[in-house]
Amino acid sequence: MVLRMSKHLLLLLCLTASAAAEPVSFSREVLPLLSDNCLACHGQDESHRKADLRLDTQEGAREVLKSGDFIDRITTDDPEEIMPPPKSHKPKLKMEQVALLKRWIAEGAVWGKHWSLEKPVKAKVEGHPVDFFVKARLAKDGMKLSPKAPEHTLRRRLSFDLTGLPPSDLSDRSNQSDSIDQLLKSPHYGERMAMFWLDAARYSDTDGFQSDATRTNWPWRDYVVESFNANKPFDQFTLEQFAGDLLPNATPEQKLATCFHRNHMTNGEGGRDKEESRIDYVIDRVNTMGTVWLGLTLGCTQCHTHKFDPISHADYYSLNAFFNSIDEDGSAGTKANPYLSYQSPHAKHAVDEAQKLVDVRKPIEANAKADAENPFAKWLAEQQANLSRGRRPSSAFQAWHVVRGSVESQEGSKLAQDKDAVVTASGPNPKQDDYRLISTIKRPRLTGLKLEVLPQNGVLSRGKDGEFILTDIKVQVRRKGSSQIRDVLVSGAVSDTKVEGKAREYGDVKGTLDDDPRNGWTTKGFPKDQPHTALYELANPLVLESDEELIFELKQRSTNGDANIAKFRLSATDQPGPAVREIGPAPLENLAQGKIERERLLAQFLEDYEPYQLAKASLDRANAQLKEVQAAAGKLNVMVLAERKEPRDTHVLVRGVWDKKGDVVQRDVPAAIAPWPKDVARDRLGLAKWITSKDNPLTARVFVNHVWQMLFGAGLVRTPDDFGLQGQRPTHPELLDWLAVDFMEHGWDVKRLIKTIVTSETYQQASDRTDPSDPSNLLLSRGPRFRLPAWMIRDAALASSGLLNPALGGPPVRPHQPEGVWEEIFMGRFTYEPSQGAAQHRRTLYAFWRRSIAPTFLFDSAQRRVCEVAMTRTNTPLQALTLLNDETMMEASQALAKRMLAAKSEDRLQLLYRAVLTRQATAKELAVLQRELDRALTHYRAHPEDARKLQATPELAAHTLVASLVLNLDEAITHE
Amino acid sequence: MSESPLNTTRRYFLGQCTGVSVGAMALNSMAQQDMMGLPSLPHFAPKAKRVIFLTQSGGPSQIELFDHKPGLMQWAGKELPESVRQGQRLTTMTANQKQLILPGITNFSRCGQSGATISEWLPHLQGVADDLCFIKSMTTDQINHAPAMTQFLTGHQLPGRPSMGAWISYGLGSVNRNLPDYLVLISKMQRPSDQPLYDHYWGSGFLPSRYQGVKLRNSKDPVLYLTDPEGLPRHLRRGMLDGLAELNQMRFEQTQDPEITTRIRQYEMAYRMQASVPELTDLSDEPDHVFEMYGPDSRRAGSYAANCILARRLAERGVRFIQLFHPDWDHHSRLPSWCTARCRDTDQPSAALIKDLKQRGLLDDTLVIWGGEFGRGVAGQGKWDSPEAGRDHHPRCFTMWMAGGGVKPGVTYGATDDFSYNVAEKPVHVRDLHATVMHQLGIDHERFTFRSQGLDFKLTGVESAKVVKDVLT
Repeated sequence: MVLRMSKHLLLLLCLTASAAAEPVSFSREVLPLLSDNCLACHGQDESHRKADLRLDTQEGAREVLKSGDFIDRITTDDPEEIMPPPKSHKPKLKMEQVALLKRWIAEGAVWGKHWSLEKPVKAKVEGHPVDFFVKARLAKDGMKLSPKAPEHTLRRRLSFDLTGLPPSDLSDRSNQSDSIDQLLKSPHYGERMAMFWLDAARYSDTDGFQSDATRTNWPWRDYVVESFNANKPFDQFTLEQFAGDLLPNATPEQKLATCFHRNHMTNGEGGRDKEESRIDYVIDRVNTMGTVWLGLTLGCTQCHTHKFDPISHADYYSLNAFFNSIDEDGSAGTKANPYLSYQSPHAKHAVDEAQKLVDVRKPIEANAKADAENPFAKWLAEQQANLSRGRRPSSAFQAWHVVRGSVESQEGSKLAQDKDAVVTASGPNPKQDDYRLISTIKRPRLTGLKLEVLPQNGVLSRGKDGEFILTDIKVQVRRKGSSQIRDVLVSGAVSDTKVEGKAREYGDVKGTLDDDPRNGWTTKGFPKDQPHTALYELANPLVLESDEELIFELKQRSTNGDANIAKFRLSATDQPGPAVREIGPAPLENLAQGKIERERLLAQFLEDYEPYQLAKASLDRANAQLKEVQAAAGKLNVMVLAERKEPRDTHVLVRGVWDKKGDVVQRDVPAAIAPWPKDVARDRLGLAKWITSKDNPLTARVFVNHVWQMLFGAGLVRTPDDFGLQGQRPTHPELLDWLAVDFMEHGWDVKRLIKTIVTSETYQQASDRTDPSDPSNLLLSRGPRFRLPAWMIRDAALASSGLLNPALGGPPVRPHQPEGVWEEIFMGRFTYEPSQGAAQHRRTLYAFWRRSIAPTFLFDSAQRRVCEVAMTRTNTPLQALTLLNDETMMEASQALAKRMLAAKSEDRLQLLYRAVLTRQATAKELAVLQRELDRALTHYRAHPEDARKLQATPELAAHTLVASLVLNLDEAITHE
Repeated sequence: MSESPLNTTRRYFLGQCTGVSVGAMALNSMAQQDMMGLPSLPHFAPKAKRVIFLTQSGGPSQIELFDHKPGLMQWAGKELPESVRQGQRLTTMTANQKQLILPGITNFSRCGQSGATISEWLPHLQGVADDLCFIKSMTTDQINHAPAMTQFLTGHQLPGRPSMGAWISYGLGSVNRNLPDYLVLISKMQRPSDQPLYDHYWGSGFLPSRYQGVKLRNSKDPVLYLTDPEGLPRHLRRGMLDGLAELNQMRFEQTQDPEITTRIRQYEMAYRMQASVPELTDLSDEPDHVFEMYGPDSRRAGSYAANCILARRLAERGVRFIQLFHPDWDHHSRLPSWCTARCRDTDQPSAALIKDLKQRGLLDDTLVIWGGEFGRGVAGQGKWDSPEAGRDHHPRCFTMWMAGGGVKPGVTYGATDDFSYNVAEKPVHVRDLHATVMHQLGIDHERFTFRSQGLDFKLTGVESAKVVKDVLT
């Protein structure tokens, strides 16, 4: 790493210091050297300062520079004397670095400020400002811009950059400047910008810590989309998010805006001190402000004065003071005051959509039920016939059959099963024990198990008080000769003893299903000389192969122990529905007695009638979704800022520890950045005005850099989160400054800024040839080329396949995710139900974001735990797997295949290329595609059963595979 | 920043060299480049080639399991003296409760030749005592789960830094080109956990995300998106990937973008993983005596015991960092039913893993670590003299054990005071543990840094950390 960084720095130094005739630049050449090598010990941080020497101020350095000590110490061969010292693991300064420092001293050791703290100035330009600076810089190295990118490439580039979506393959090709304006006018522009802002704002739909409770802050997300679409000036956008609540006659939307500073994680962990959490939130706000607006690593100053940048420990807490009097107490979950009660205008669309889906599925369910009438009548007649045909008297029909097998215990109880299948425990009576009954049960299928606990000598257990406690049960299957066991999921439990189910107490039989020994089933309080019964329903009917055996385990691991069951019997049934859910005779048992219970019988029949079950499950899901969005359409609590009546004192926190309070500080800003504006109150409004004041050298530069990074894949400053001494210097400082000043001069107009950049030749260059001397494209001799962010890849697949639901705003949706990913993290506390119908195909911006497990189909995305503005881009096999097998990608492939099949067969492959890549395929490419299509067709025609597994005809299956291939092409997922 | 410039240069150069056709040799050499760690690592010859970290989430009670304090009997029910507590912060769960002492409720044995004290609740571990090195003087700064576990694994209490496994994967690279370098296995439990296992526990923080831990799931997709849809046979997938590679290759020839060759290679690796991962997770080729050694739960896929077998299989395949998580050690109440339940899940398999690695000659270069994010307090939570009582979190001291990988076997290091409350001898902070683990892998933690947001970060943080040399061979 050290090696890599210094190489890069060298390159940067070469880039910036090529003209040797110019005097040495303090900020560009000297300060980075001092910062890298000296300031950790000789900076402004008093607590780490060695030898009482400061090299970060002219004052402090004067003496050693004058005396020659400085140069002596960095050039000596004496290991005791050499600076930086060997134990700092910093290498000795290189000869050319020393020469530079000597030259600087000879030139009078002119002092200055770090570049980003000098106010930006607008240099005079000729022609397009972007091209003016870029071409000038390239010319210094004898280089020039690449030619303009091909038209289709440019269309894609602009469309992705400005809307996050590929160009529609149907739209006509109007001239370019029109299309730039059109794209900027598209409502999808706001969505594209919002995705970047949400990452920076660490926006999430859940708290993050511990229980990770769900929040309803999504109306703020829509505020962001609308603000970008309305081209709200960035200073106003800033002001509203910092202090919308303090504006005179604040509108609900202005109050809503302040949710920005409530998007941090909240911790509701049981033992947590709320005050500690509250202070964490304040700190998070300051750090986020530092990163997003100022490009400063303020987090460093939480514990100590910044080693490199001119921000002191006290400065940091003075900034904290602006956020320290929010009317909050550190709570999470539903107690995270202050809230704004807000009703979103965007939820109605979701309700209508969900209602439509219910309306579609309701008659299907009703028809399925009606369709079941005849089969039901037939089934009922069959059952009656069977019952009367039986050899035994019909009244003897038994739904339950006793289970026989081998019995064993874990801790030593002796178990024996008698001819009635009753298992009795005797012999040693350990404090706790597990019993197992292993049986090769000969029934075609099992739907449930019945456990009878039977009295022995008038009591139910071998314990002192005669009461049993069954803490958990397990149902498992083992194949003979196989080493492995599989768990059978039990979905429900009922017993003849009903108690109020309390968490972590013994009583309710449901407590035996959760593998928690702190709850379980006991019949204490009920007669202990009577048998008691529990019914267990299997989640899915179990069909045992002839070589499989059933294992039923009774775990008796209660806290006090001494409550082992004395006698029990296990039975099994193949009857679904009421028989395994209700204590008492099963419907067919009553039927055998001549009692026809139509409702219960129908319930049992439908349980096994698949067409109805499918229709019902589908309707249930639509109804659940409707209920959810209806709730979202009502008044919601959105976390916002509001001041408390009595401001809190703000203290410096010693070493950043929340309860180690130092001096009291007042609201203030670091003087080294910009002065406090005149006649402005010291509150959040004032803070926002300071941030966007023309005297502030950072904000406009930092924002321009964010936008540049969005369009070019890397910023003009390649450390977008660090404009400080340790960050990288801009590759084109005058360009950055020009854009920053121009941005401020034109009222912080974001669309104008973007248009300025994308109309440049620099932006519109071809991206496919990289100059070998500049592989990272620092000098911008080619257009931007990088893998699209994962969210754009998903959106593009939906758009090009025609599946995309372009609705704006509203409650979050749940795109497809592999089963079980939430359940694994929370051991089942949260389950993920993918959205139904059109809601499934919304843009990724609207995907529900659970902070403890981000959407699995996104890779290299911000984690939304803390503010992130840098981009990561990796290239891994896991990404390949995601794009090959994610259900959304498969659906998009199939939808594309359907579009292909609707076209003439000779047009199909070209249609696919046009839809996904916005261009015609070449003959060579067509040949490869045709070969793969033929190969797939041959297979699926020969194996239609494989096509059926994909819910497709052989033709559709083969075209789906080819569509998936094209969606996976490098060109499809790359910003070219 | 997406890629370091030097890396890009290297890839770009290779891309250029190969001209219009990317031959198999070039692909291979690039694959090797990709698998390499940092050229500067290791700093010195490592004792361990890999780590198996048996993470016990929730805070196992050192008082019930390892840190035997028979003298506490005379303090039963008495208030913890302030001279011992010294202002220790409590969680808000017990802050308003009198701190009445609950002596350990288990019996201990002195085990093996080393005479390590191990509780009756861990009978199998007692049998391998002489292979283990106990550190009884572990200490941390955090008193609540998420911050404590985050510090325990990433060196800092706030999320955002790389986990130890990610650092190792970044620094040392991989050995097996069909599997990721850092794999995570989580026990499948039936009950909802009160402490979710956040994915930042195995995250890559500011390191590129390819170094993050990959979770091996107990489901039809052991790795997310691994399995092709039903109805897509392997030979068709092969054909499709060939077509994909061919078209991508044409694009590469036009653009010379080295990312494209990397992408071709990653799709190939994905294809290989589709075979290698199921082969890895399918335990049906393990003989019966293995399952007997790891206990009955090992036959149940997803159990801690089955994951221990998987850990050994991963070690055999050269995976660098293998991390198991077993949740729910958070026994605030009912020690006799709750704590024992977790002991029963983990005791036999943990011991079996040590034996198994040893039998196969893998223990020498595999460092096994067992422990949780903090310990538990000496005061009873709830009514101290009832079986209902539990213990609250305690950061000042806890016990961990290590085995293999150049750690001295049969050693107990450090000690707590008579109350198992403060470290009395040879404190080992979690950052010392980090320094020690790195040391065994041939890394000087002081010299292993990554620059992010203008600072050179290291796993052990800014405060000084020391390698615990006394426990090393």
